[in-house]
Order: sequence, then C-alpha cells, then structure tokens
Amino acid sequence: MSAATHLPALVIVVPLFFAYLMPLFARWREGWSTVTALGVLAFSFAGSLVMAWQVMAYGPFSYQMGNWPPPWGIELYIDYLAVFAALTMTGVGLIILVYASKDLPHELKPHLLGWYYTLYLLLMASMVGMALTNDIFNLFVFVEICAIAACGIISIKGSGECLEAAFKYLVLSALGSGCLLLAIALIYMVTGHLNFTFIAQALPEAMRLYPNNILAALALLLVGIGVKAALFPLHVWLPDAHSSAPSPSSAVLSGLVIKIYAVALLRLLYQVFPASLFEVTPVMTILLWMSTLAIVVGSMFAIVQEDIKKMLAYSSVAQIGYVFLGFALLDVSALMGGILHIFNHAMMKAMLFLAAGAFIYSTGVRKLSDLVGIGRTMPIPTIAFTIGAMAMVGIPLTNGFISKWYLVLGAIHGEQPFFAGVILLSSLLNGIYYLPIVVNAFFSEPHGAVAEPKRLPPQMQVPLAVLGFACLLFGVAPSLIMGLVSRASQALFGL
Amino acid sequence: MGMATSFLPVWIVMFPMVMTLVIFYVEHHSEKMRNALAVATSVVTFLSVLVLYPYIMAGSIIEYNMFQLLPNLGISFRVDILGFSLALLSSFVWMLVTIYSIDYMCKEHGCNRYYPVLIFTLASCMGIFMAGDLFTLFVFFELMSLISYVLVVHEESVEALRAGYKYLIMTIIGGLALFFGIIITFELAGSVSLGGPALITETSSLAFFAFISFLIGFGMKAGMFPLHVWLPDAHPVAPSPASALLSGIMLKTGAYGLLRVIFHVFGLELMQQSGWMVILAAVAIITILLGSAVAITQDDLKRRLAYSSVGQMGYILLGMSIMTERALIGDIFHIFSHALMKSTLFLAAGAIILKTGKRSIRELGGIGRQMPFTMTGFTLAALAMIGIPPFNGFLSKWTLSLGALDAGLPFYVLLLLFSSLLSGLYYLPIIIAAFFGPELGAEHEYVKINEAPYKMLIPIAILAVTSLLFGLLPINLPFDLSRMAAKYLLKGDF
Repeated sequence: MSAATHLPALVIVVPLFFAYLMPLFARWREGWSTVTALGVLAFSFAGSLVMAWQVMAYGPFSYQMGNWPPPWGIELYIDYLAVFAALTMTGVGLIILVYASKDLPHELKPHLLGWYYTLYLLLMASMVGMALTNDIFNLFVFVEICAIAACGIISIKGSGECLEAAFKYLVLSALGSGCLLLAIALIYMVTGHLNFTFIAQALPEAMRLYPNNILAALALLLVGIGVKAALFPLHVWLPDAHSSAPSPSSAVLSGLVIKIYAVALLRLLYQVFPASLFEVTPVMTILLWMSTLAIVVGSMFAIVQEDIKKMLAYSSVAQIGYVFLGFALLDVSALMGGILHIFNHAMMKAMLFLAAGAFIYSTGVRKLSDLVGIGRTMPIPTIAFTIGAMAMVGIPLTNGFISKWYLVLGAIHGEQPFFAGVILLSSLLNGIYYLPIVVNAFFSEPHGAVAEPKRLPPQMQVPLAVLGFACLLFGVAPSLIMGLVSRASQALFGL
Repeated sequence: MGMATSFLPVWIVMFPMVMTLVIFYVEHHSEKMRNALAVATSVVTFLSVLVLYPYIMAGSIIEYNMFQLLPNLGISFRVDILGFSLALLSSFVWMLVTIYSIDYMCKEHGCNRYYPVLIFTLASCMGIFMAGDLFTLFVFFELMSLISYVLVVHEESVEALRAGYKYLIMTIIGGLALFFGIIITFELAGSVSLGGPALITETSSLAFFAFISFLIGFGMKAGMFPLHVWLPDAHPVAPSPASALLSGIMLKTGAYGLLRVIFHVFGLELMQQSGWMVILAAVAIITILLGSAVAITQDDLKRRLAYSSVGQMGYILLGMSIMTERALIGDIFHIFSHALMKSTLFLAAGAIILKTGKRSIRELGGIGRQMPFTMTGFTLAALAMIGIPPFNGFLSKWTLSLGALDAGLPFYVLLLLFSSLLSGLYYLPIIIAAFFGPELGAEHEYVKINEAPYKMLIPIAILAVTSLLFGLLPINLPFDLSRMAAKYLLKGDF
C-alpha cells in the first residue's frame, strides 16, 4: 500500500498532528513554526490537488478510516464537492498563512505565535475534515474543533474587544453545536445510522414512521448550521468577531470558515435528506427568504459602517446570502453559481481583509474616512482592494461576475426573476459602499499617517498580488474551476 | 480575405491597450515621448480602421473569435458596416482630440494619468464598435464607462468628485440593467452573438423586461431622459478634450448599443409587432424638449453644451424609433454630425477657457475679436447644430424629417423644427455677443488675449470644416456609410 492511497486521511491528519507540535517548534528556534506550518499546509493543498485530479480522472471514491467498513467505521467520501471545498480551504488558507507570517508578529505577543499556528492548523484540518467526511458524527467532531479553534484565533489578541467578540461567538456557536448534536441524535434515533449514505437510504422509510422527529432534526440542523454560517438573522456574532480579530484571522474566518458550514448544509440537504421532504416542508423557501434578507440587510448595514473591517464583515453577511440563495433556488445553474461563489468569495474577501490588514499594519488607520489618499502611498494593497471591490460589484472579467452570471441565470431559468432582481440590487448596494472607498483612495490627498505609511514587507504584498491575479484569472478563464463546480452541482442533482 | 484581415479588429483593440502600458512606463522618463506616443497610437489606430475600408465596402464582414469564457459566451469581434462607420468616426475624432490635448493639458496636473486613460478608453471604445456579441459589447462598455470616470474627475475638485460619484452610480445601474438584459437574452436564445437572425423571436414578459433593461442600460449612457441626470454634471467638469470625447463619442456608444439591440436582439418584425418602440419615442421626445429648453437657461458655456447634447441625443433616439429607411439613414448620419459638431464646440470652448479662464457666457462678449479662429470654428459648428442649410446638421435633420414623413408622423417634423428654433435660441446669442458684443470688464483690466496655439487650432479647424463639407459635398463619405449601414440593418445587405 503506497502512501497515496491514504491521501484523504493524510490531508486531515498531518495538519492535525503538526498543530500540537507548533508551540514546541516555536520554542526551539525562532521562525521554525512558521516554516513548518507553511509546509504542512502546502502538503494539504498538494494532497487536495492530487485528489482533485483523481476525482476528475476516475470519479469519486471513498476511504475507510482504519479499514473499518461503513456503517461501523468512519468513511471519507471524496467526490467533486469535497475536493472543491478542500482545494478552496487549503489553497486560500495557504496564501493567508504566508501573509500572516509577517503580520502576526506585529499584532500578537511573541510567545503566542506558536499557539496561533496551532489554532490555524487545527482550523484548517477541521475544515478539510468537514469537506471530506461522510459521517455525520465525525462531521460534528470537526465542527466542534473548528468552532473552538475559530474562537481561539479571534480572542488571541487578548484585548477587551476581542474577548467580548470571542465570548459572543463562543456562546452562539455552542448553541449551534447543541442544535446540531440534537439533530444528529434525532436522526440516529430514527435511522440507526451515522453514515450519510446509510442515513439517506433509511430516511424515506423513517419519514413515513416518524415524520416529526425528522422535521425537528431538520429545523435544528438549519438553525445550528445557520448560526455558524452566519445566515441572517443568525449573523449577530459575525461583525464583531470578524472585525476585532487579527487581520489574517478575519480573512480566514470570513473567507473560509463560514463557507465550510454552507458546504456541510448543502451536502445534508441535497444528499442526505430525501427530496420528498421538501414537498411537505418549505425549507427551501425559508432558506430563499433568509438569504434574500441576508443579501439586502447585510449590504445596507455595510453602507453605514465607519470601520473598514466592520464593513467587510457585514459584506460577508450579504455574500453568504448569495451562496445560500444559489442552494435554495433549486436550479442547476443557480447551484453552480452558489458553489462557485464559495470559491470566488473566499478569494475576494480574503484579499479585501488582507488589504485592510495591510492598511492597518502600515498606518494604524482603520476608519474609512481617514483612509483617503491611501492609493497614492500604498498602491499594491489599494489595487488589490480595487480588484476585490470590482469583483464584489460583479464587473465583467472579475470572478465575481461569473458567479453572479450563474446565479442570475439560475433565478431566471427557475422562473423566479424576483431573486435575479435581488442580486442586481445587492450589486448596486455593493457599488455604493465599495466604490467611494476606492475613489477616495486614489483621488484625494493623503493626510497624517496615511501620507507616510510603514513599508509593507514582501510576504504581505505577494499574497495580495496572488489573490488579485487569481480574481482576474478566474474571471477570464472560469473554466479552470467550472469543470469541478458543474460536476459537483450535477452530482448533487443526481444528473 | 486572409487571416491577417480577420485579426485586424483584435489588433485595433489590443494595440491601444498595449500602448497604454507602454505610455505608462515611458511617462516617468519623458513627457515629450509620452505625448508623442499617445498621438502616434491614436493615429495608428485610425489608420488601422481605415485599412478595413476596402473589405467592408466589398460587403464582407470580418469576424474573429478570441476566446470562450463559458459555453456560448466569450469575447468575439465582428465588424460590419455600422460598426466600421462608427469606429472610423471615433478613431478620427480621437486622433484630433489627442493632438489637441498636448497643448491644452500642458498646464494641467496629472497628465501622467490622463494620457494612459485617454488611450485605454479609445481601446475600449473600439471594442464596443467591433464587438461580435452582446457580452463583448458589455465588457467593453463597462470598461469604457469605468475608465472614463478618471477623465470625469480629473480636476479632483469637490464639484468634480460629486459629479463623478453620480456618474459612477449611474454607470453601475446601467451596467446592471445591461447585465440583466443580456442574461435574459441568453436564457431565451441560448446565445448572445450579434449579426445572425434576431435572437428573441417572441414577445413575452421576460422579453419585455429585457427590452426595458437594455433601454435603461444603453439609454443611461446616451443621456436619455430620465437617466440623463449625470450628463450635465459630468461633461462640463472634465477637461475640455475629455468633454469633447464624452459628449461627441461616448454618448454614441449608448445609441449604437440600442441600434444593435433593436435590430439584432429583437429584430425589426418583433419591434413593429410589439409596439415597444412607443416607449423609446416618448422618452426621446421628452429628451429633445427637455435638453433644449434647459440649455437655454444655462450660463456656464460647457453646461450649455452638455444640455445641448442631451437634446441632440434625443434626435438620435427618436430616429431609431421611427424605423423607416430614411429615418434610419438620418439617424446614423446624425450620429456622425453630432460627433463632429459637438467635439468642435467643446474643443473651441476649451480653447476659450484655457486662454481666458472664463466659463460664463455673459463674460464672453467680444471674444470673437480676440480669438477669431477659435470662434469661427465654434460658429460653424453652432450653425450646423441649429440645422442651417449647407451644414451637415441640416442634412441629418432633413433626412430624419423625410423618414418621419414616410412613417406618416408629421408631428415629428414639427418637433424637429421647434427644437431647432430652441437651438438657435441658445447658440446664436453666444455667437452674436462674441463677434459684436462689448467686451465686459475691459475698462478695468485690459488683458491682451492671444489666439490658442496651433496644435489646438488645427483640430478645431478640421472638425469645423468637416461640419461644412459633409453637408455640402456631393461625394459624402459619412452619408454613404449611413445609407449603407441603414440598409444593412433593415435588409441584412447593402
């Protein structure tokens, strides 16, 4: 047996294992933990790439942990959606980590650096785990790891604001976890299984016998994951948490963490619960309206923000609405748009948060009205921010346009043009809050700290450049990722 | 037609784009080199468009598929007689404006931003006229609109930034409307390529939404009522050569887009059946009256010109809605005429502002005696604008009126006459005061005002003379092109 067959387990276990060694490395030699963490994530990313190639070439495959066959053992199921999510998480995560290696010493106390990498790798491992697992209890374990690690990277700065935000997150997220656990218990109770495939087989029969249990499970699941994915109106923790955390944490939280829950919910709704369920309960309609409200209200809140990171955080509330809208429209094109937006938004929002972090690193300014003229003194982060803003509005030749194209096409094709209107309205709102920042950055005279920024190290400039380039690349050549996305959504529709 | 010819459209679009980067690099080393490169780029672009002339006249259509973005959606180029005509016109005016810019901008700040943007806008403008499908058209349309924002806010004054913000928001609204229209077309037809048979063949509520979206998207750019609100603010605050291009050329991209939508997306038949044209006709009439009436009340020279553009774009929109052959000829010819006239006027206004610093019409008494060449150019173009016989403005109005009579709409002729009267009301006082009026303020501070430098005068002179020639000459290239383009749109051949 070669190591390659164990790849699905390795991409999760290696970061998990090295996570605990990080403080040791940090103590041993300065800078080693950084290099190791980067190496580990690069390994996970490479592993995800190989798996993506395997899936594209030979189709989905499963991996049994410890050779225990399901339903007893834990099964990892590597299909299109799983590798798509794993690739997004590890790829963007790796870029953010490069940036973090220079930004963190600035934001954190030195003895915390090693611990930060522990939390970061735990977070990454748990997200890849959530993407790959085919076992609902295993999913719950990863959800818990993810929640605690996320809480850690919010609170690590130790300032009052961070602690408050982290506490808020902890409480709400624990509530979500509780809901999730109850849902799992209810499902286990009526089906006797924890493996997705087996649950899916047993559910139609169980539906007939115990419809209330399953409805309750569905409701709990929706709330549990809704809280964690910050779906309106369960988003209240997000703006504080994402804006007070260190910038790389904000990037990873807004760009990746909330998305992986969306992937989990997608898998449960489309693959585990039977389609007949959606005929008796209006789950999809509820989801549709929740996401519509998220899009509109999130954008409106973002307009009135003064703090750059708070604005970006509210924008995330709106953008996660796009993803759920794509899921809820029940149309292949829309689903493709939703899934693609997970990837596109991960890049855009990570880039925007990193650019905001660069402004804060170099000037200490985070008020939007004080950032005028920044484009003249810090061109690279501002250009990255501009590309991100364009992508948010959905200007053609940026990646945001492509996801918007599929979402709107899906809405029209599914004969729900109202939701196409919602997406267009939200694009306009995005324009209203993103473009003035860009305009002021380039067309006004800089003052104060903005006029003389601290030099930005190349480790922070390169990730911005890479993400900016990627946003344009996937806008011009979306077929690079569309193959995976379209197969994933077709598989979810059973086509 | 060889491979090289079909690659020409790509060259015409890509060459200025690449040159933008070159200029961007060179400008940090030498200003002279930057200016020379900008002029050279615009000249080469114009000549490259001219190379297409024999092929287009032979009736061939030049197509080139660049790449596919998504299935059935990509960047492609297609040059037919209409696209060619407008590309030729735009690159010609652009070339003159670039030459004019050298002396006009030499005292301005931010030239290192101005020239690359100017050339990049040229590239995207060429892309619009040579687009082979709606998506490509949309991409270049958005590029042009967003990049020309930099031209609008060039002064960076509070006023400019406010006008720019208005412009930006309207651009986004327009862009989203276009996006919506295109996506509905894609959903209904499965393709967005132009030039084949009409894409949408049946009336439905979705098709109507698409029509309205296109009307909003392109109408916004064309200064159509009630979406014209950005125009009178944005055009005057830009530097004058940029105003000339904004009013003279970029407004026309909206009209061009509407022509494409009417004839290629919906088709003549559907348009006649559905009666949706009434909407366009109604807003066009309001646009004409409103633009002309408000122009009279303006005291700022450039604002008056901008409102006049609103009124004149109304003619073009009205001409489209009539849909008879002669109306269409007049319509396309008016695109030519207005581009030439309005750029002359803005360039002349720029020369006056540069030399005197005065923008208020009340202060312009006697300017014709101080700057005779500039004011002669202005006068020629203004007379053409009013529609006085030997000028091109007369010819376009004449043809438009004939077209309206063909369609049995004599009311439109009255409207054109009335609006010409209004044009006379706001242009003639400027001319009369300039040549015969007293010099205001002369008794206190007599400053000798010189004529503008020749690099500014020559473009003004060339443009002003074209206004006269293209109304007078028996062999009239723009008129021939308009006739062929109109025939092509109506019958698919010329």
